[in-house]
Amino acid sequence: MIFILVLTPPVLMAQEGGGRGGRGGTREFLGLGPAPDAAAAKKGEPIYIANCAACHGKTARGGEAPDLVRSVVILHDEKDEEIGALIKNGRPEAGMPAFPGLSQEDIHGISQFLKMQVELTANRGTYGQTYSSLRSQTSGDARKGQDFFEANCVACHSAAGDLAKIGAKFPQAAILQSRFIWPSTPGPAHATVTAKSGQAIAGTVLRLDDFDVALRDSSGEYHYWPRDQVQVQVEDKLGGHRALLPKYSDADIHNVTSYLATLK
Amino acid sequence: MKTLFLIGTAVLTLAQGLDPKAFSLFKLPGGVWPTYNGDYSGRRFSDLDQINQSNVELLKIEWMYRIQGIGPQRGVGNPTIKSTPLLVNGVLYFTIPDHVFAIDAHTGERLWQYDSEDHGGHLVGQRGVGMYGNWLYFMSPDGWFVSLDSKNGKERWKKKVADEKLQYFTTIAPMVVKNHILIGVGGDAMDVRGYLESRDPETGELQWRWWSTPEKVGDQASDTWPNKSAMDHGGGMTWLPGTYDPELNLLYWGTGNANPVFAGQSRKGANLWTASIVALNPDTGKLAWWFQASPHDTHDWDNVETPVLFDAVIDGQPRKLLAQGARCGWFFVLDRTNGKNLVSAPFSGTGNWAKGVDAKGQPIPDPAKEPKENGSMIDMPAMGATNWPPPSYSPQTELFYLNGTEGYGIAYLYDTSDNPEGYGGGGGGNFDTKSALFALDIRTGKIKWKHEHTGAGGVSGGIMTTAGKLLFTGDSGQLVAFDPADGRILWHQRLSSSVSNGPSTWTLDGKQYIIVGAGDTLYAFTLAGKK
Repeated sequence: MIFILVLTPPVLMAQEGGGRGGRGGTREFLGLGPAPDAAAAKKGEPIYIANCAACHGKTARGGEAPDLVRSVVILHDEKDEEIGALIKNGRPEAGMPAFPGLSQEDIHGISQFLKMQVELTANRGTYGQTYSSLRSQTSGDARKGQDFFEANCVACHSAAGDLAKIGAKFPQAAILQSRFIWPSTPGPAHATVTAKSGQAIAGTVLRLDDFDVALRDSSGEYHYWPRDQVQVQVEDKLGGHRALLPKYSDADIHNVTSYLATLK
Repeated sequence: MKTLFLIGTAVLTLAQGLDPKAFSLFKLPGGVWPTYNGDYSGRRFSDLDQINQSNVELLKIEWMYRIQGIGPQRGVGNPTIKSTPLLVNGVLYFTIPDHVFAIDAHTGERLWQYDSEDHGGHLVGQRGVGMYGNWLYFMSPDGWFVSLDSKNGKERWKKKVADEKLQYFTTIAPMVVKNHILIGVGGDAMDVRGYLESRDPETGELQWRWWSTPEKVGDQASDTWPNKSAMDHGGGMTWLPGTYDPELNLLYWGTGNANPVFAGQSRKGANLWTASIVALNPDTGKLAWWFQASPHDTHDWDNVETPVLFDAVIDGQPRKLLAQGARCGWFFVLDRTNGKNLVSAPFSGTGNWAKGVDAKGQPIPDPAKEPKENGSMIDMPAMGATNWPPPSYSPQTELFYLNGTEGYGIAYLYDTSDNPEGYGGGGGGNFDTKSALFALDIRTGKIKWKHEHTGAGGVSGGIMTTAGKLLFTGDSGQLVAFDPADGRILWHQRLSSSVSNGPSTWTLDGKQYIIVGAGDTLYAFTLAGKK
């Protein structure tokens, strides 16, 4: 992830940044403490449902009794100490009964189930997995998507050619959608650099900013110029995609996604 | 006793370190950079002109200081200087998360270093220290408000001011106003409630706390929330230093996005005072007025970007103004005496997430452009058009400068339940994004000029303008001086990393310095041969 403030591409979460991503990286970044024990959480779920869910809600987000996901006690307790005491003794003054019959293992299971609910809420690195089926659903009209495709895309793309099986390649509709709107890996840019002498050299761009241009030509030779001394013509592979960006309605993108998802 | 600078005829002396009277609205004395933004206005404009358009090509690295021996920081990688160093009595004070450094400004030699052990919180950034007398104030990421002796870096005391276990974290440079040390908090992951605190400079005890959301149903603005629970978990973080007008005795502060971040269904309404600019009395914390930049925010658009104060003549009338380039992609100009709006105009895209503006000039969010399960696209980057890096205003050009991003983005709703928690969704897709240095007309909000990047490279860090008719910021991995009038590049110097903080300037022994942080290294520039 990008922490230097180069704003291209803008990976800006909250105050910019957000860890190296994924479940573990985001957890580390957020300082969420030890990861919950998934096996214990699974064992604890039915015990939680049987004993706690009626008041605290099925996913512990509260009901008649407080939300346990945003609970100060749960968020602070790393070793089941406070949670254990609370379950065993109850909180009679607040109307919470005691559960003296639950074993230490039961309490650990409930505690880890609650920690898992915290994890699934606070650790956005888990969202990709949790919501993968939601992100895989298409909602558009594939027929209208095909019409849009034929009117706008066939100059460069073909459903039977380069995009055959694209729906199988990107089973997550949300990813397919982002990919067709703006392909994120168009490959290295190609450019032609023309020096003041009129000499032109084409090649793969290694560096191109306000001050420097560097290419590797087809023979593998490296070339460098100060930016202000040459003309640079960059091949724009994404011109068609760029031209469509201001034209899309949300329905258009959903329809095209639904159509592309049928190409399997 | 050392004379530091003159304001009018009064001589402010610094036998006891930094007198809070050293901070003024628009005067940034040459020999000191006493607070995060230099002066109280947040303009980041310096009257110094020893370095100017006629000699800027002579600017050379005088010294550099590289942070050593700390290594990668938890979850964020190598140390990155995002703080603006304070310069007082020839000593620079700057920070990274968990660490404070004191450096001899003449030589770049380290005088002392304060280290705080990592006990949680987010190490995403650290904006610097505040100073009052001989005392420094520093926030460790895990919610400790620490006071140090500036002479030796020894800890005087520390106070717990935010609970990192609830996912609060603290990155702010404390701001000093009279005998108030103002500190704000960050935190998005667990739906906590934002607040701003004023604390005593000697004891660290709480003087007042202002909450970003109403306390209870029936209180002012509680009709912008459905219930108490939504207010209790509504967000509105206060993580960047504000600005202050001593004459009006008003503090201006930006507040962060509402929570849950992307899922707005359990917090129907405008959600005051999240994603707003608020004007507060610094002695009481009492709210004077507010302007909401992103009502009912569902895109993580913290509105903490510096509310910049300046005076200008509008339609023949001298006006006291406040301007902000907001993360929601709009530029706002307000009358800072009362919050009345003069300009509301998008600078990135067409502002198509809004249906227009209301009677107060606040954008009206379009429900059709809120995050959706199948994605909703807007014509600006989903995660915002700008962020914390400091903007600048030059009274010479009457232009407002900011580093921002253009392009298209898409936002998704994940948690569709009636009571979502946490982020509840996400911003995705950076479609055709490009960064740019914007120069905005304060009377119309129109873009006067723009230095735009396509492909590789990009602008970085904050901006400073000077009376030498120079604008300094990061560009293409270099420190660059632009002509603030038209965006021409006048000078550039390659650094070891991209510029990562807001550049600053001051004079020492008659010589003007430019100071900038790039990754783990602080650079000092002076005119070659002008000792």
